[in-house]
Amino acid sequence: MNAVNDTIRFENVSKFYGEVLGVNRISLTISPGITTLVGPNGSGKTTLMNLMTGLVQPSRGTVSVLGLSPSNATQFFCNVGYCAQFDSFPRGLSGFQFVLDSLMLFGMSEEDAYHLTEESLERVQLSDEAAHRNIAGYSKGMRQKIRLAQAIAHHPRVLVLDEPLNGLDPMARAESMALFQELGRQGMHVVISSHILDEVDRISDRVVLITGGYLIAQGNIHDVRQEVRDKPMQVLIRCDSPELLASKMFAVNHCVEARIHADGGGVFLRTGDIDEFYRLLNEIAVEGLVKIEAVAPADDNANAIYQYLIGTDGSIS
Amino acid sequence: MSVFEHDYRPYDGRLTPLGTRPLVLTRYAMAEAWASKITIGLFIFALLPCVVALVMIYLANNPLARALVMRGGPSLSIDAGFFLHALETQCWFGLVLTSWIAPRLVSFDLGDNALPILLSHPISRFGYLLGKSVALALSLSYVTWIPCLVLFVYQCYSSPQPWTLSHLSLAVGIFGGSWVWIVLLSMVGLAVSAWVKWRVIATGAIFAMVFVPAGVGGIASAILRTKWGLLLNLPVVMSEIWQRMLGAPAVMPERLQLPSFAMAVVLAAACLLCVAVLNVRIRAREVVRG
Repeated sequence: MNAVNDTIRFENVSKFYGEVLGVNRISLTISPGITTLVGPNGSGKTTLMNLMTGLVQPSRGTVSVLGLSPSNATQFFCNVGYCAQFDSFPRGLSGFQFVLDSLMLFGMSEEDAYHLTEESLERVQLSDEAAHRNIAGYSKGMRQKIRLAQAIAHHPRVLVLDEPLNGLDPMARAESMALFQELGRQGMHVVISSHILDEVDRISDRVVLITGGYLIAQGNIHDVRQEVRDKPMQVLIRCDSPELLASKMFAVNHCVEARIHADGGGVFLRTGDIDEFYRLLNEIAVEGLVKIEAVAPADDNANAIYQYLIGTDGSIS
Repeated sequence: MSVFEHDYRPYDGRLTPLGTRPLVLTRYAMAEAWASKITIGLFIFALLPCVVALVMIYLANNPLARALVMRGGPSLSIDAGFFLHALETQCWFGLVLTSWIAPRLVSFDLGDNALPILLSHPISRFGYLLGKSVALALSLSYVTWIPCLVLFVYQCYSSPQPWTLSHLSLAVGIFGGSWVWIVLLSMVGLAVSAWVKWRVIATGAIFAMVFVPAGVGGIASAILRTKWGLLLNLPVVMSEIWQRMLGAPAVMPERLQLPSFAMAVVLAAACLLCVAVLNVRIRAREVVRG
């Protein structure tokens, strides 16, 4: 399979709703695995998702999903599963009917649709009794599950999930994330927009940061963090004498902040030159003055990147 | 760096033809419409005139029964005029049924934000509307051309003289005239359903779209002393069309009769207006207003 047929590609894509900007000049390539769209409300995440699911056409530029264009409706939509963030269900249907109906719209025979419906409901762990109840009586978590079941039931290769963790209790969130991880590991494209950054951070292969309709950063979380050079990196070092380590490190220019961990068993150090920092840390370890147990980046995650690049008010920092 | 197993297998079974998929929406729209007891009630009520017409056909073709029941009353003539009257009655019941069924067809999906979900399937906006309009057209068929053709078939069966071959054009007129009305009502019904959220107002709007222009046309005709205002009078336009399609005697005085072409243009313009409304309202996303 060549690269075009295995990626989601945006080439200089802009979308305007009248005079309102949706997204502007987005060029992006999304590979298999889990990709998280991160950005404040109104940043263009849903527009980006609508573009990759073929629900809206770009005002400028081209979008291709696995080499397919939305104009090739049958193939395109059969390869894409979409879980909208809205509580959107045709009225009067049970969960089972909703998924079955959806599969028949994809063109599956009633027999295949029945089988796939049962399979997807099992995957999202919605009980048989609940599946045959009217959706109107579902809790928020059950609605999320049935939406997810509908999105994965036809075995798409691209799964687009708009805020899929909203309204789920911690147990259901963990189950959903395990399912996303499994699908991502199997080689599916899973694109998630979520505000629950801490949890998404654990399963994402890469992030796409967007605000005001503009792409801010994209790529592996660690790589993106490395690129944010104007924000000193924070590293947590677990050791037997954090005060001594802090004093040694703080003596050099590139170390700008040192904070002892609340349990007293480590120190957070912030440095403007991570390479020099690790070299110095090696020297200290070799000298044997401090017994180092663990070293881990403390702000190498989606949450920190969001804070550094977008800020709390949604404006670009 | 993640390790992808690449063992995910998309669905590779057989697919149904693209053209049949809107019927999935039709099935649920029909179930939704006919789950209501009011729909059933309206349907039964709409068939009562047909029962009366059926009895009249029986009496017209049975001299003994006619003598017993009508006791020398006026003779019954089963001709184009009779079927025109039956068709007009049924078609106006069709309007009542539309005003009940149509408001829910699209407005529920718009209100529930179901369109992004439905349109993220291999079904176009046209396919979506086709599925909904087939449900409405089928429902209207039950009260328009189907009962009228049943009357026609019963007359063919009951008539002692050879009647069928000389009156086949009546059957064609009933079928064609009904479908002109069904298509128009479906377009108006869907457009109103897409535009108006509240059922009561949507029901009123469907009646208003039929009768308000008639009033405006009447005023224009009176002020300008012209017959062209009648083009806005849908009941008059449809009566004229049905009368011509069935070959029944003219009801309107000759000076007020409208050219067929002008009436066709008016109906086409009404349908285009409805298409424009549907084009604006049926979107796969929420409309963002700046």
